[in-house]
Amino acid sequence: MTRNKVLITGTGAVCAAGMHPREILDVVLAGRTAIAPIRQWDTSNWPTRVAGEIADLNPRALVPDRKLHKLIRRTDLVGLYAASQAIEHSGFVAWRDTLDPADFAQYNDRTGAMVGSGGGNFQSQYDFFPLMSAANGDMQTFGRDLADSVNPMWLLRTLPNNVLGHIGIQYNLKGTNACITNHSVGGMLAAIEAMEALRAGEADRIVAVGHDAPVEPQMLLCYHRVGLIASEALRPFDAARDGSLLGEGAGALMLETATSAAQRGAPIIGEVLGGGYVGEGLGPLSIREDGDGLARAIAMALEDAGLHPADVGMIVAHGNGTRRSDASEAAALRTVFGAGMPPVTGFKWAFGHLIAAAGIMDLVLALAALKANVVPGIATLRRLDEACADLRVSAQASVPRGNIALVLCRGFAGTNAAVLVRAAEP
Amino acid sequence: MRTERRRVAITGLGMVTPVGNDVNTTWDALLCGRSGGAPITLFDASGFSTRIAAEVKEFRPTLFDDRKMLKFANRSHRFALEAAEQALGDAGIRPTVDDATRWGCAVGTGMMTADYEELALTHAHCGASGEIDTDKLLTDGPASDPLVFCRNHATEGLALLTRRFGIRGCATSVHTACASGGQALGTAMKLIRRGRVDRVLAGGFDSMISPVGIAGFCLLSAVSTDNDTPQRASRPFDATRNGFLPGEGAGFLVLEEWEMARARGARIYAELAGDGNSLSSYRITDSPPNGDGPIQSMRQALADAEISASQVDYINAHGTSTAMNDLSESAAIRAVFGEDVVRVSVSSTKSTMGHLIAAAGAVEGVVCALAIARGEMPINANYREPDPDCKLNLVVNEPRRQKVRVAMSNSFGFGGSNSCIVMRHPDEVDGLGAYGAPP
Repeated sequence: MTRNKVLITGTGAVCAAGMHPREILDVVLAGRTAIAPIRQWDTSNWPTRVAGEIADLNPRALVPDRKLHKLIRRTDLVGLYAASQAIEHSGFVAWRDTLDPADFAQYNDRTGAMVGSGGGNFQSQYDFFPLMSAANGDMQTFGRDLADSVNPMWLLRTLPNNVLGHIGIQYNLKGTNACITNHSVGGMLAAIEAMEALRAGEADRIVAVGHDAPVEPQMLLCYHRVGLIASEALRPFDAARDGSLLGEGAGALMLETATSAAQRGAPIIGEVLGGGYVGEGLGPLSIREDGDGLARAIAMALEDAGLHPADVGMIVAHGNGTRRSDASEAAALRTVFGAGMPPVTGFKWAFGHLIAAAGIMDLVLALAALKANVVPGIATLRRLDEACADLRVSAQASVPRGNIALVLCRGFAGTNAAVLVRAAEP
Repeated sequence: MRTERRRVAITGLGMVTPVGNDVNTTWDALLCGRSGGAPITLFDASGFSTRIAAEVKEFRPTLFDDRKMLKFANRSHRFALEAAEQALGDAGIRPTVDDATRWGCAVGTGMMTADYEELALTHAHCGASGEIDTDKLLTDGPASDPLVFCRNHATEGLALLTRRFGIRGCATSVHTACASGGQALGTAMKLIRRGRVDRVLAGGFDSMISPVGIAGFCLLSAVSTDNDTPQRASRPFDATRNGFLPGEGAGFLVLEEWEMARARGARIYAELAGDGNSLSSYRITDSPPNGDGPIQSMRQALADAEISASQVDYINAHGTSTAMNDLSESAAIRAVFGEDVVRVSVSSTKSTMGHLIAAAGAVEGVVCALAIARGEMPINANYREPDPDCKLNLVVNEPRRQKVRVAMSNSFGFGGSNSCIVMRHPDEVDGLGAYGAPP
């Protein structure tokens, strides 16, 4: 069965470490972490006080259209920003403008958007607090005074699929689409679904984006209470690792068929070679110690791409810094790669776990690292855990053994995803 | 370009809806238009502009009885677990240890918001001033309870379903508002086509009949305020329509690779034959009056299924009973079907069971499979006053009994996502060659 090649013609990213993929990679390469004390609320009495917040987040710098700001949340601001960046980077808009009206419409019908979204949040619901205080438990008052107290656009602001809807309106994208709410793997699944749709000819180009802003009080507290938050630093695969840290941000890829990219002579950043995802079926928070789900996802991605483990030049691990996830991830990598393991790195230590944006951010940065021919080090790594002993991770940067990266992503509900990308030859 | 594409069979159905907690009860209600609309009982809605809804009634999980797991499940997850049990029982097949990795799960998940009771506790403890006191949050009950975190999590429904049934292949959850259920079915179909898995448990679930959920809809003036006539409140395509009737529930289907379903002698309701998706990119809440957006999703679904409009006998419309949706959808159906619009039968079952939001597309997918299998088309209830802008061949008063060769289900969501699913009668599959093969 013939299938279209899936090329990458644009990337976009924003997180605590920067407003652009290369800027973020430079922070990582410098061994700096963008994890800092939380500023959105006073955490001086909190058991956990740091995160990867985007400092001085300026809504207008992220989304120039001020009318939109009342209709979207913080997570949507970063998502729309990264998606716009990838779209502008690809240059298809300027080319589309040269088309006559019929071709223009056809072009839009063949241009899609796939989004991985963090879903709902707790903070939005506090918008009802003033009304609840006034009603004082009386639901009749709550209902009667509703319209005087709560923003009429409240429901629209909380939609999990706002980035999809608004990026579509902004760029007149009218093709195939999805909004995936699958915890941390959402963004990466958006890239996989986009790849599949392009291969099958369901669209000619698709922007894939993942976005999240989990740094809000109740969300952070929940993660802390289930034992997933680190005390001060995120140290993937380290013997002393004690959890993850939350970050906010978004990553985006402009994906196109080879025909679509060639049509306007678009510069090629890389290619999506294959992907796979599976569940472990153990419940919301459980992880198998043997890394079975992740090993199967990697095997699926390799088979999908027609590649062997030896073809992989570097691995970008999920490396979220929790005891169980990192140990089982190491087990999965041992199962698949054995003695032939390429250099392994991870990026979350530098800007936090971006949850729904995590996997697609790692894809964007993997492409930037391959282009720079570098496997960035994990600067917070002090002593490798014996359980992860055969991983080729280091605090220092090294050189990839080829221009193909395997990027891994794991989430609640036991979902594991793997994607293989190749960077274009410089 | 396409060669040997795998065909997808629908072999099991399950429903929990406002008009019945199983498939047969729901179907009987849809045929005669026995409405699920009634005054809201789940909370005191007396002060709200809309005080009616289509609630799931007298629901007790009967097939699903794992008490420990139920503690992790919110109302919509319970509907989902029950409907999924029904569907797997109906299909007569369940994942086993040996084939668990060849089963997938794709669901349309409802809005992810805390239960009102939990929000009220948090408000009382740390929001009484009207603002959140973040230090008090540290000692808040719901905010500290891992069970609450799990129940409110976007992937909780998926986590419970895959655990309950031991599904270890591709598992995903989508949310495009009211298009979620339809998109989940399309996603599930493609997982089988691509060979990623052989069988998928696919569906959708939602419940927004809570103070916060209904408040959100009231603020947007999207819901009908016919509080004195709840059973007539949903009247899609009628000239006097004035908003949708909020509903809740779940619908699930078992999808199988066609040859495997045949080989085990499964009863095949229909082929899930085509999927189309588009974005309206017009307004967040509407498609344009000319049907642009839905037109593309319907055309795509037909092309994907290699079906012409002239073969379609039944359309289960999105038909929400809002002024704009029904206008836009009518225009789209006219544009896609041309002269055939006078022949193809159309009904919106939301007229009877209300709008199940993220579950709507999945439940209406079950309805289309039943329409094909039983040769019956449910009615568009409450249709009295024709709207000249919504001229369609609506099924009114009586269900239509005739062979349904092809059925189509539309689902359009806030955010502009349009989903269209096309199903084909099993008899119509026999004699067809492989997809993409020369005739």
